[in-house]
Amino acid sequence: MKAYRKHVILALGLLAAGGLRMSWEAPLTREFRSDGLLAKPVATGTREKIGQTSAAVALGGLRTLVATFLNLKAFSHFEAREWGELAETYDLIVDLAPNTPYYWTTGGWHLAYNSASDSLTRTDLPALRRREAWRDSICRGRAFYERGARLNPGEPSINAELGTLLSNPNKLVDFPAAAAAYKAAADTGKALPYVRRRECLALARIPGRENEALEMARQLYADPHNRIPVLCCVLFAMECRADPSKNPMKLAISIFGDARSAHDQLGDYWVRVRERFPLDGVASALKNLEVILLVPTDESVFNRSLQPKENPDDWFRGR
Amino acid sequence: MTARKSIPFSRVRRVAVIAGHAFTQLVRMKVFYFLGFFAVIGIASNFFNLPQQSGPEALGDNGMDLLRLIKSWSLGPMTLFSVVMGIVSTALLLPKDVEDRTLYTILAKPVPRLDYLAGKLLGVLLLLFVSLALMDLLMVIMLQVRLSIVLEVQASLGQSRGWDAAAIESLKQDTLAQGPTWALQGAVAAVFIRSAIMAAIALLISTFSSSTLFTTVVSFLIYFIGHFQADARDFYFEGGEAGTSAASRYLAMSVSLVFPDFQLFNVIDAVIQGKTMELVQFVKLALAGLYYVAVYTIASWFVFSDKEF
Repeated sequence: MKAYRKHVILALGLLAAGGLRMSWEAPLTREFRSDGLLAKPVATGTREKIGQTSAAVALGGLRTLVATFLNLKAFSHFEAREWGELAETYDLIVDLAPNTPYYWTTGGWHLAYNSASDSLTRTDLPALRRREAWRDSICRGRAFYERGARLNPGEPSINAELGTLLSNPNKLVDFPAAAAAYKAAADTGKALPYVRRRECLALARIPGRENEALEMARQLYADPHNRIPVLCCVLFAMECRADPSKNPMKLAISIFGDARSAHDQLGDYWVRVRERFPLDGVASALKNLEVILLVPTDESVFNRSLQPKENPDDWFRGR
Repeated sequence: MTARKSIPFSRVRRVAVIAGHAFTQLVRMKVFYFLGFFAVIGIASNFFNLPQQSGPEALGDNGMDLLRLIKSWSLGPMTLFSVVMGIVSTALLLPKDVEDRTLYTILAKPVPRLDYLAGKLLGVLLLLFVSLALMDLLMVIMLQVRLSIVLEVQASLGQSRGWDAAAIESLKQDTLAQGPTWALQGAVAAVFIRSAIMAAIALLISTFSSSTLFTTVVSFLIYFIGHFQADARDFYFEGGEAGTSAASRYLAMSVSLVFPDFQLFNVIDAVIQGKTMELVQFVKLALAGLYYVAVYTIASWFVFSDKEF
């Protein structure tokens, strides 16, 4: 057979085989994509940013490997406190491995906590600019967590971290959003037990949703594993709020088991003022408990120093 | 009757002999030394445990991430080694047989050219299989050792923090999904299938190429084209109304018909992240790979069938 004829037949044969392949390959790709086995193609912008070599490796089917190396690079940025570069690197990492919660939680943590804390110590900047850098870092961390949670709806850890950030008194508190994030995490059915408890704690601090919080606190309290001090204290305060006619001391003893435990746990709860937990009936119960436990005046809970009431914004005032 | 029946068996034996010879030829090139590098990479992956944010009771997250890291660091080199080995060893075989004049001796005998090509390809596939099996074994050992440590730590921490049995069991299941699973074996098999396709493509190129270097370079180009051709195809077809010419679209269509589309094999990334690949999905992937290998092998035979040396 003449060479050119052979080449034409070969080309036609390959085209025909390709045409045949198209009939099953495209549906199979769609099926794998909908089952979460295939990620979306790497965005052109990401390819440009990760460099030619990494792009080639990522295109060669090694996206997670490139993400792993970029994570190491991001750690170097963290050590050098290069926050802009760190944020950019984590954007690339999650483009390459969008379904790995570790990258979302670690990236959000670096931005909302490490970068924000670093801006507090930036003595080279005036107070106003430090404050803006601090707020900006937290907002970027929050946005990062939120993006991760949207892309991974069945994964509880990202929403749980978002809830923790939004209910942290040292950050920008947003209890309704924190409660929603904890709820989303707990509703996946895969979250650890503390997530549902924290949803309840966040709800208890949202004006107008106290009844909802009380119901949830009662349900959680029914399981002995959930009877951690803060939840018992919140349940106590919510019960007192719902029915002020109840005897606070008797209620406290029934919730905590005995007067000593009630006094110790409510005492610790009393000083946590910055966390904005409800305090209904707490002072009254503590006073009565101190009387029956014969607590000396100098050891009274009311003589303990409270958490400083300052708002994070106060940190930047006059410095 | 007996003579007719013996034909397929003799053919199989012939192909097996050629495959065995090709395998021995490649093993003598000391290709297995790379396993030492693989072991070093695997061990090194255990030492990149970076700090991270953890919830108050998130006692197992760090360990799970380390398991994911070991998988990522193991499957990456597996892919690289197997693709490089598949392409280079196939590219070497035909020119080496010509150079040693072994090819003339074989083809002078009543050996069909298809049997010769199939034997050579099977030899390469055997090499890839053995290499990947050894790397897989190393990876599974490392993962199993690390997994048992992680599980032990999780169980003791869970108990010390008063977790109930259901919570500990749930975390254990999540952690086990990051260990050596059947889905992970499916991912290793996907690595093998992809390198087998590349070997078949290198075989096709080597039937009309006269140099090993040319075959190797073109095969690697095809490997990369195979990974982004789906994007190019989407761009041209979806960009039809945005000014892309009809000629560009036909060209894009031809490229996507002739070159393989490797994006299906990126399921490996999902498995590293802990996703499960069902048996049915794996079978579909394997059939897709078989189709590619069959098409490129038949094309190789078509070119090689009346080639003169």
